[in-house]
This record gives sequence, structure tokens and C-alpha cells, in this order.
Amino acid sequence: MNDKQTTRRRLLITALAFSGAATTSMGTSFLGSAAAWAATPDDTENLAAMGRLAQLLFPHEGLADSVYGEVISEVLAMTVADPATEGLLVAAENALDAVHGEAWASLSESQQLSAMTALQDEAFFAGIREMVRFRLYYHPDVWMHIDYPGSSKEHGGYINRGFNDIAWLPEEN
Amino acid sequence: MAKQFELSDSSVVVVIGSGAGGGTLSNELARKGIDVVCLEAGPRLTLADVVNDPPTMDGKMGWHDKRIGNMVWVCKTVGGTTMRWSGVTPRIQDHEFKALSTYGQLDDNTTLIDWPLTLDELEPYYVKAEDKMGVSGTGDIPLSAETNNYKVMAAGAKQVGYKEFSSARMAINPVARAGRPGCQQISFCNSGCAIGAKWSTLYTEIPAAEITGHFELRTNSMAVKINHDNKGRVTGVVYADAEGTLHEQKARAVAVAGNVVETARVLLNSNSSMFPDGLANSSGQVGRNYMRHMFGVAFGLMPKPVNFHRGARQTGVIYDEQYHKPERGFAGGYEIQTIAVDPWNTSSITGGWGPENTVFTQNYTHLAGIFITGEDPPEAANRISLHPTERDGNGLPVPVIEYRDHANSAAMRDHSIKMTRAMYESLGATNFWGGDAPVGCHNMGVARMSTNPGDGVTNRWGQAHDIENLFVSDGSAFSTSAAGNPTLTIVALAIRQADHIAERMAQKSL
Repeated sequence: MNDKQTTRRRLLITALAFSGAATTSMGTSFLGSAAAWAATPDDTENLAAMGRLAQLLFPHEGLADSVYGEVISEVLAMTVADPATEGLLVAAENALDAVHGEAWASLSESQQLSAMTALQDEAFFAGIREMVRFRLYYHPDVWMHIDYPGSSKEHGGYINRGFNDIAWLPEEN
Repeated sequence: MAKQFELSDSSVVVVIGSGAGGGTLSNELARKGIDVVCLEAGPRLTLADVVNDPPTMDGKMGWHDKRIGNMVWVCKTVGGTTMRWSGVTPRIQDHEFKALSTYGQLDDNTTLIDWPLTLDELEPYYVKAEDKMGVSGTGDIPLSAETNNYKVMAAGAKQVGYKEFSSARMAINPVARAGRPGCQQISFCNSGCAIGAKWSTLYTEIPAAEITGHFELRTNSMAVKINHDNKGRVTGVVYADAEGTLHEQKARAVAVAGNVVETARVLLNSNSSMFPDGLANSSGQVGRNYMRHMFGVAFGLMPKPVNFHRGARQTGVIYDEQYHKPERGFAGGYEIQTIAVDPWNTSSITGGWGPENTVFTQNYTHLAGIFITGEDPPEAANRISLHPTERDGNGLPVPVIEYRDHANSAAMRDHSIKMTRAMYESLGATNFWGGDAPVGCHNMGVARMSTNPGDGVTNRWGQAHDIENLFVSDGSAFSTSAAGNPTLTIVALAIRQADHIAERMAQKSL
């Protein structure tokens, strides 16, 4: 693994722990369980379906579908870079397809959501959910979409740019 | 620039860790003319390495060696977790030093004790620590500037009838002081302060120690084992350098300040035929009574913009709930503080998926945030231990971290979430999220100070009951957790410990 991939994996583990998804094992239980899927080959055909999964996980109205596609491509790159998570997306799609006995991607939104709910306690679901969360919320288009401007250091911070500009509170001091 | 000591020089004090405890103790000793070698497991960054991006900085300075069990969010870098901390510096209250006497033992599982020292005794050291760190609202230092997020919290506090809150007690310069600039409200102080306005030992205690000529910092030097002689006195510290090569630095005395997990690990890993259960562990208490506070986080989705990403991450404290008022249904108290986090952390904290999660990030500019820290009772079963077979890259046993919330903490959290919900809803919040934040950034108790040697590991000076030239200088020495953020007390105790070590050396009794 290169440094960037190592950092991503660390962040995944941090994400799992911070969100409480892995309260007793700091994410290693997820990685261990996921290793069982490692024999499944990765392919890119399910990326569209998994992009839809990313969108239903974190549905931001008005955010371009292409952003979810980019995010899931990055998640795929993360999974193939690590033997413990390789094959995760294919395994996820197979599991989603199995819930209603037909291709998850072709189901109605309510059926897609019910399949997700049925699988939400599975380790692979938490793994994909946290990788999507990580890539999505560090995506520049998402930051723009939610009006988060990112680093302020190069702009001199907010000391002269509104850190204390709130004016709608009662009994303003 | 700095002095270099020979590995064979047994006149030095070896300090393990360069954060709030180790960095402060090193500087205080060096300023008294006592020679110190400080072993820091991580690298030495400069302010130029600090970028305003939490995941990048976590990669540069976070502690990522293998651990099993509950997450602990600490740093492996010069300055330790003072690089990441938010700078909130409350004092421990008088009654919190007398936890057992005040609360009584809560049940068969809790192991509350009284501290072997009082607030009166620590008070002069609190004053020194506040001056050293530049705590806002103390001495002649002004209050911190009120950020939007603070103003929302304060307005909500008024609405629910709270009286004791202010933007004081931040170790972040409100104005330039002591060679460091005033805060520029860059935000996300947990990435490290890019301008050095927030106190960190990286650019205060460490360089101050270096110019004394009595201090050497060794970076990328991971303490592995503390050696002792046949009289049971410690004689040196074995450490691995960046290449993994082992060295032994001889020592007159050793002080351990590895932010609890590493403190417990190095003591337990230093077992020998004389000390089969690890150093300073005749009581069996090393690693036990691990505390990490009752934590909570609350987000309010406010009717108009807050922009909590603008400005210092934490900017003030509400103290009204810090007292022991058993009629609330729990022992001890808690503090309410502001917090701001980036979009990913926001989503991670609220957890889950779907519209219920996404509503908070979708309306990121309208979020207000609160962090809650409260007293958690010690329990023997909450502990740091060594895995029997798993080893890390240095060949060290992997630490196993076991911690569960006591029912007292759950009751306290419920109360705090009810109160913070009332605060935000009084201002028209349309959505609210409140819950646990199992992040593990306040670590305490695993080598606690006790009057009775059977109850703890160290005496009232943080000196091991079993070994007189072995000291504990981080949050591990806390007898109980109290409600507030621990760093100020770690620093005050380190200043006091340095006085004690110097006195004992002058008397030739150390």
C-alpha cells in the first residue's frame, strides 16, 4: 500500500470507530469479516448500481449523480487496494440482489430501500457505508453543494470574515 | 542547538512522551538545571506542516499503531495530543478531589477513591499552568472572542436558565502573548494550530527546554521497556529508533507520560522476575480504573445560518451542571462546551444513513454544535492490558482497551442531551441530534495516585508506590476523572512533580 492508501485505510478505521459502527474492535472486526469476501473478483459492471447505493445512503437533493459515481469509483479503488476489502462491492450487490430475488438496481426506490434496511447490520454494509461517507464528504463538489468552503488558513482564518457575524439570536449582546 | 547525552549517562532523567505531561515536566526540570532526555515515539513537525484539513493531519500526527478494543484518539508526534486538543482548560473542583467521600461508592463495580491531594494544594500550580499556557480569562488575559457557535450556545443557556457560562478558559491566545500570535479563527483546531496561537508543547515547552542546555529530545524513539537493578530501582529505558534498532538510555529516574495506553503498556511490558506483573504493579492496579469521561455531542439544526466552521472549534464552557446534585439521578457533574466539526465528522457522529443522517450535512451552514464532558466513575474492569500473542511492528504486545459506560454515565448523558435539546429548541432548532461520542481523547486513571498503596500505583507526587525513582506524569495518575477536560490538571501536576523531583534530588534522596 502506498501512503495515501494507508491513510485512507486508517481513516476508514477511524470512521468506523468514531461513528460507533465498531464499538469493541476499532474496525478490525469489520476488516476481518470482509476478508471472507476477498475471493470474489472485482468487476466494474456493478458500479452504476453501487452509485445508486451511495446516493440512497446519503441523498443530497440537487447533487449531481456523477458525484456519487465518482465516489463509488474511489471506493472501488480503496477496496481493491486492500486484500481485506477486495471484492466488497460485488459481494454487496450480490447480497442486495438476493433480498428480493431480482436485480436490486432494477427495483423501485422503496424496494431498494427495504433491501438496504434488511442488510444494514451486515459488516459489509457498514464497510461500504463508511467508505462512501468518507469519500463523499471530502468531495469538493459536496463541499460546494453544502456551502462549506474548506481550509481557511490561506485566507487568514475567519477573524475578519464572519466568525462572529450571527445577528438573528434573541437578546443579542 | 540542543545538548546531546551519552546513552551510558546515568545522571539524566528520562521522560517518555513530549505532550502535556512529558513536555511540561521536561521543561520544568531542565529549567532547574536537571538533565533530561525525552523520548518521543513520533516525528517533529513544524507549523509549516500544519494544514487546515483534519484527515491529512490525522495521517501526519495521529497514533495508528495496532490496538484492540475501544478507540483512543491520541497523537504520535512531538507535542503529543497538545497538537490535536481543543484548548479547553477548566480546573477540577474541590469536591471532585474527594469523589469517594462526596458520592460514596456507587456499586460493587466502581472503585472510587479520594485524591491524595486537595484543590488548595494544587491551586498555586493551577495558577502557574494557566500563566504558562495563556488561558483566556485568567490573570490579565482577556476572554476569548465569542464565535457564532458560542453565541448560539450562550443564547440557549440563557433560555434554559443557566447562569455560569463565558468564553473564558481556553489555552488559545485571544491576543498575542509570550511570542505567540492571537487566534485568527482558522477553525478545526484539532488539525493542529497553523499559527501557534493554541498552546502546544511542540512550540512552547520543548524549545524552551532546549535553550537551557539541559535537555535532549529524541524523536521517532519508541519506549519498549524500563529496566531495573536488583534493588528494584529503575536504571534505564530501552527504546526503538526509527529503524527499529534498540538502544538503552541509562537513567537516574524515569517519568512515563505516554497518554495512558502507552503508559500502561510500557509498565506492563517491563515485567521481570522481580516484578512478574509489570513495574509498579504490586497492587495489580496498573492498567485498571481506566477512565475517559462521559462524552456527548449535540447538534442543533438552527432556523438561520450559524457557520460553526468559522472560528475556534471550542470557545467557552457552561458550568451550571458541573456540581454534584444527586437529585438529577447521577453522581458527579458535567460541562457543556461548544464544538465544530467538518462535514465528514458531522455525518460520522450522527451515524447511520438515509435522510435522517443527511439532513444535518445538507444544512451544514445552519448547524450549531455542543460537546459534553462529564465525570465517569472508575471501574477495575475498565482497563488497558497486553494481548497475550498479538505483536505490533516493534514487536511489542498490542494493547487491549476495554471500556464500558457505567449506568451513572448513561444517566448523566441522558440528562445532558435533554438539556442541550432544550437549549437549541428554545432558539427554534428544527432538527436535533444528541448522543454518545466514543472517541477516547480524555484518557485517565491507569496508574492512579492513591493514599493507600493497595488502591493505586502512585503516591501524591505521581511517584510509584513500589519504585521511588519511577514517576507517572500524564492523565494516568488521575485518581478520578472529575468532569472537565484533563490537560490543565496534567500540566499543573507536572509542574508540581518537577518541584518534588528537584527537591528530592537536592536532598540526595533520589
